[in-house]
Amino acid sequence: MSVNKIAPTLVAAAVATVLAAGSVQAANEASAAGTAKAAPPALAPLGEAPIPPDNKSTPDKVELGKMLFFDPRVGGDASTGCSTCHEPDQGWAWAEDFSRGYPGTVHWRNSQSIINSAYFPRQFWAGSASSNEKQAKAAAKGGVAGNGEDDIMEARMAVIPEYRERFKKVFGTEWPLIDDVWLAISAFERTMNTTGKYEVPLDKYLKGDKSALDEQQVRGMALFNGKAGCINCHNGSLATDLDYHNIGIPPNKRWEEDGLAQVTFRFEQYAKGQTEEGYRAAKSDWGFYYRSKNKWDRGKFRTAPLRYIEYTAPYMHNGVFYTLEEVVDFYNAGGVDEEGRTTLFPENKSKLIKPLGLSDEEKEDLVAFLGAFSGPEITMEKPKQPPYAPLFTKAELEAAQEEK
Amino acid sequence: MVVRVTTGRALLAATLGLGLAAGVQAADSPDIGPLPQLEIDKAKAELGKRLFFDKRLSGDAAISCADCHVPAKGYASEKALSPGYPGNGHFRNASSLVNVAHRKVWNWDGRIGTNLNDMTREMLTEDYIMNMDMRVMQERVKQDPVYVKMFKDAGYGEPSNGSVRKAIPEYMKTLTSKGSPFDAGKMSDSANKGMALFKGKAGCVQCHNGSMMTDGKPHNTGVPENFDVFMDPMNHQAFIAFTMFQGIPNYMNLKRDPGYYNITLMKEDMGKFITPSLRELKYSSPYMHNGMIATLADVVEFYNNGGGKDSNKSDKLKPLGLNDQEKKDLVAFLEALSGDELTGPEHVWDKPFPAKYEAIENWTQVRN
Repeated sequence: MSVNKIAPTLVAAAVATVLAAGSVQAANEASAAGTAKAAPPALAPLGEAPIPPDNKSTPDKVELGKMLFFDPRVGGDASTGCSTCHEPDQGWAWAEDFSRGYPGTVHWRNSQSIINSAYFPRQFWAGSASSNEKQAKAAAKGGVAGNGEDDIMEARMAVIPEYRERFKKVFGTEWPLIDDVWLAISAFERTMNTTGKYEVPLDKYLKGDKSALDEQQVRGMALFNGKAGCINCHNGSLATDLDYHNIGIPPNKRWEEDGLAQVTFRFEQYAKGQTEEGYRAAKSDWGFYYRSKNKWDRGKFRTAPLRYIEYTAPYMHNGVFYTLEEVVDFYNAGGVDEEGRTTLFPENKSKLIKPLGLSDEEKEDLVAFLGAFSGPEITMEKPKQPPYAPLFTKAELEAAQEEK
Repeated sequence: MVVRVTTGRALLAATLGLGLAAGVQAADSPDIGPLPQLEIDKAKAELGKRLFFDKRLSGDAAISCADCHVPAKGYASEKALSPGYPGNGHFRNASSLVNVAHRKVWNWDGRIGTNLNDMTREMLTEDYIMNMDMRVMQERVKQDPVYVKMFKDAGYGEPSNGSVRKAIPEYMKTLTSKGSPFDAGKMSDSANKGMALFKGKAGCVQCHNGSMMTDGKPHNTGVPENFDVFMDPMNHQAFIAFTMFQGIPNYMNLKRDPGYYNITLMKEDMGKFITPSLRELKYSSPYMHNGMIATLADVVEFYNNGGGKDSNKSDKLKPLGLNDQEKKDLVAFLEALSGDELTGPEHVWDKPFPAKYEAIENWTQVRN
């Protein structure tokens, strides 16, 4: 492994363990056990997606989840479903800086791809949901996302005969229950991974197919693991340490120009439980702070995974970079964009982020290597929406009327 | 919605229970008569008017209060069943809002017995009605400089959810009947005869009494179910969501509107609805909680037949034996309870709303 050339011998053993086990868990344990000085776990191939024991996968459940994922009736006004902001043709994400949001609103963060979401123990940019199930529920209900309420969404399922049948078959309930909607959607999402025929070139390479990367990409990998220091956070089999860092992302300028985005900006401060002073003063997304309420967490976001990124532009929690070249330039400048803008919390900026001194050729190599994190595009024909139908016949209603 | 608070079932039941007891004790029904005057704060009412007609007060910014409470229809719904929020239908007819500030209990099933502030919150936040997350609403309102000024001028300071819930009720106070022949003492002979029947032979005054012509209490008159509630899945889903949220047993199999049963869960309250006011009926057809009766002549016919069929039906209702002329006189009286249309600019916000939210200038430098 080329990584051995640059990894301090101190952690060689840990890296070897990770590679041997080839599991997320081992990588996390290695990370947790390591000291600040220890080198991070090496990149490793993506394993099988974990399936939680409380939501076992069955083909029928996955099929139902797929229908629900694409069904806009799982939302407030029946016009927004999961796929509305996680659009297959846009990397199962949304190709604008901010996710499109509920009608009459715009979101304030970039929509993340559902591809490989199965692997992450927490979802959302600040990790506020602890499972796919909780993410699906939170997104379907959020004021600037799905804006749906449990009762109306559950009621809708009940007047769709095909759903009644399918929920009964999958979950054994007389009527569809809203919490089972999240279970089914999550079961579907857990099948949407860069494995099998969608395996990315890097994984082929890491499994021994040396032809999977070209020479430029191999050079880029060396930079990734070495001079550029990407591996410090983008490591292990998920290419993320699953931790939260302030890397210096500047606020999105759209907040200065777009009234609708300003509405949502304040709503989020309000909804996420800011202090009054925080609500008044905030001019950027405080990220992990909203969960921890520690000032040193302002501007921290979870290290993004890198697989499938070819399809998921723009990048970062607020989508400020539209190309990987811009991303590399940003890191090369030490977490500063081309206009010299950076985080509003420089005191929290990770010490790992500093000017890299990459040459143009090195930057190109690095971008080429980032390309190895994406394989074939994952596409899918959208399922047909099963129609509504009356629950009762006229004769039944007439009989009930007679009985009154 | 996240911020909704439901009126305590027991508390409300107790309040209404006291009312019922008092009503039973009264030997005679309170007489019908003119409405008391209300004090109105002009600036607050003006603000409430703009809010009432603003589609940005619904979740997807597609409907305003006025979409179900149509000014030309006496601020009631045009159709038998209200349209509801986009993506679903509804299961009841939106009541007229004219004189709504004079009421003591709101909703056909009487589930709000506190004040119009609570009622406003309920309408804004219910998912099948306006589905508004009030935190989003507050920030939308704050984004509009016209509102910022109006809230300030009204003495509310910075726009807030709480002030929205105060300003809309203030506006609703302006929706008060005026100029009805009944109030003006200028009824036709036929209407005067109708009034005598109303208080006498027809017995309407037993429930339709006081200055609002309602006892504010629930009764079962046997109005037939509107099958569109159940045959149209859009309406039925709203009905299911409502009955589910209210905690009504066996809601998936319900084939009738439970009405006041929602408040007490007592079988004898099944199918009872709060007596509606009779003012402004000229504009607010169709009638009854589900819009099942199209004209006032049909309403009179309905009562002349002793109401509809229901084992819970009020024993106050029996066939009246009115002849054709008496029925006409009664209709004439009912029509005489309607005043001027409240469709002028003093009641209807007729200026355009901004097509987009203006950005706050110098955003990075000013406090939110």
